[in-house]
Amino acid sequence: MKKFQFLLLDAGPIIKLFELGIWDEFLERCDVSISQTVANQAKWASQEYKDIRIDLELYKEKVNIFDIDPSLAKSFLDRFNELYKAGIHAGEKETLAFLCDSSENWLLCSGDKAVYQVLGLLGKGEQSISLEEILDKIGLSKSNLGPQYTKVFRERWIHKGQIDSIQNRGLD
Amino acid sequence: MEIGKRLKIARESIGYTLDKASQESGIGSSSLCEFEKDRREPKFSHLSKLAEVYKKKIEFFLTDEPLIENLMLWRDKPDNEEEAKKTETEFYQLCEQYRDLEILMDDVKEYKLPVSNITDPAKFDYDQAELFAKHVHERFLLGDVPIASLKKILEEVYYVKIFYLDFSGSAISKVWEKFGPAILLNAKNKQWRRSYDLAHELFHILTWNVFRNRNIDESKDEDKLANAFASRLLMPEESIKDRVRQSLNSKGQISLDRLDDIAREFDVSLDALVYRIARLFKIRKEDTDRYLDAAKKLAQAHKPRPSYEPARLPERYCDLAQRALNEGKLSLMQFAKYMDISYKEAQKYLIEDEDFTDEKVSIPVA
Repeated sequence: MKKFQFLLLDAGPIIKLFELGIWDEFLERCDVSISQTVANQAKWASQEYKDIRIDLELYKEKVNIFDIDPSLAKSFLDRFNELYKAGIHAGEKETLAFLCDSSENWLLCSGDKAVYQVLGLLGKGEQSISLEEILDKIGLSKSNLGPQYTKVFRERWIHKGQIDSIQNRGLD
Repeated sequence: MEIGKRLKIARESIGYTLDKASQESGIGSSSLCEFEKDRREPKFSHLSKLAEVYKKKIEFFLTDEPLIENLMLWRDKPDNEEEAKKTETEFYQLCEQYRDLEILMDDVKEYKLPVSNITDPAKFDYDQAELFAKHVHERFLLGDVPIASLKKILEEVYYVKIFYLDFSGSAISKVWEKFGPAILLNAKNKQWRRSYDLAHELFHILTWNVFRNRNIDESKDEDKLANAFASRLLMPEESIKDRVRQSLNSKGQISLDRLDDIAREFDVSLDALVYRIARLFKIRKEDTDRYLDAAKKLAQAHKPRPSYEPARLPERYCDLAQRALNEGKLSLMQFAKYMDISYKEAQKYLIEDEDFTDEKVSIPVA
């Protein structure tokens, strides 16, 4: 059985895994779900890289790519004020809406301050995980991940979102 | 939600046919048609793709808020309607993003631009336009060579949103209820042309409530008044007369070569300066036409003046975006979109260990 069964990936970690050349190994050890919009973003973002091409359509057998209904996105976004809505991109919105709607205990791996802050704001900090933590647990540890993929980074920005929540900022 | 209706409005507002939208989005035109007619519900990824293509926020399709018509004031509007609509949509998107950044950084500023005390457009004549320019010149503290500080003052003191894009036409201006005053200039135009357009559009912004919201066609006169305003604003009487006096030859004349130097200093075309001098020194029309002909020949004979390429986005906009990114208020992907750069390029702006808002790097001055 794979170590992670309910794992959502944002575009940053996908690109990082491709950069590190461990995407295929990663998929052997984790069940990964990705929103269709994030998959599109990762494909777009990889165009700038010389040595990687990300086309998740080729991994349809191994990756669960989901696409939510607009009504679900709307009910998720209606919870936020203008400030939080403006800060995150469509793919991040789709992933977060999916996570918040599901009864499963999904874990979201990102490399983004704004995404972790939203989770903190929503009181779902425990449903986040850094790439560093996943790689350590599945035996693929790397020392050159970059600060945004560390546990320290994740915890720091989840905490910032929690502070916003306490101070009644961000939600309508 | 009226997703279908909103999809159609968004497509039409950028001037795309179903086929063009299909080509840009990679979604079949029959699917697009079904979405627009509410015969089939699009998935979120369809909406996010179409939001990108139509240059709208994803929320545009998910809201029930009433739609507002965005009439914009053009200078040299292209005949091609599709091109004009695309430019207007891009301009709107940039203004919307700018306002988002201001909200994210809690830096929404109230603009207090001077307004004309003439409220009846029929009473606005050239003398009034020039008087108004003089008042603005004094109020903005524009000094001897106004163009040197005009743009900076408009952006940093009065929070006018000024963007540059490559498009057909010269300029667009608009005083938005939601975003405040904004000007779009053509990045492809020569520097001195853009300077003139900026001053010209400023007149429209400052007299928005005088000339807009009326059902009469005043555009031709209004444009002439805007030209008179721009001319006076960029070439103040005292400064121009002073430069002319310094350059007179023994016969009390000034050469076109010398005038060209003055035009360069004030960042205007030689033609514009000749017109201004004709007005200041009351030169007859036929003589003015003769000087203008000579000025054209001179322009052909001279090596063209260098013209710098403007930055597409205002400095304040970029600064707000970078601060929002580093304070975790803007995701990296959203930052790349706002700055119109690649994801890889966006990563270079990330600062993790340094927090410049922290008291550690604040300078105590109290």
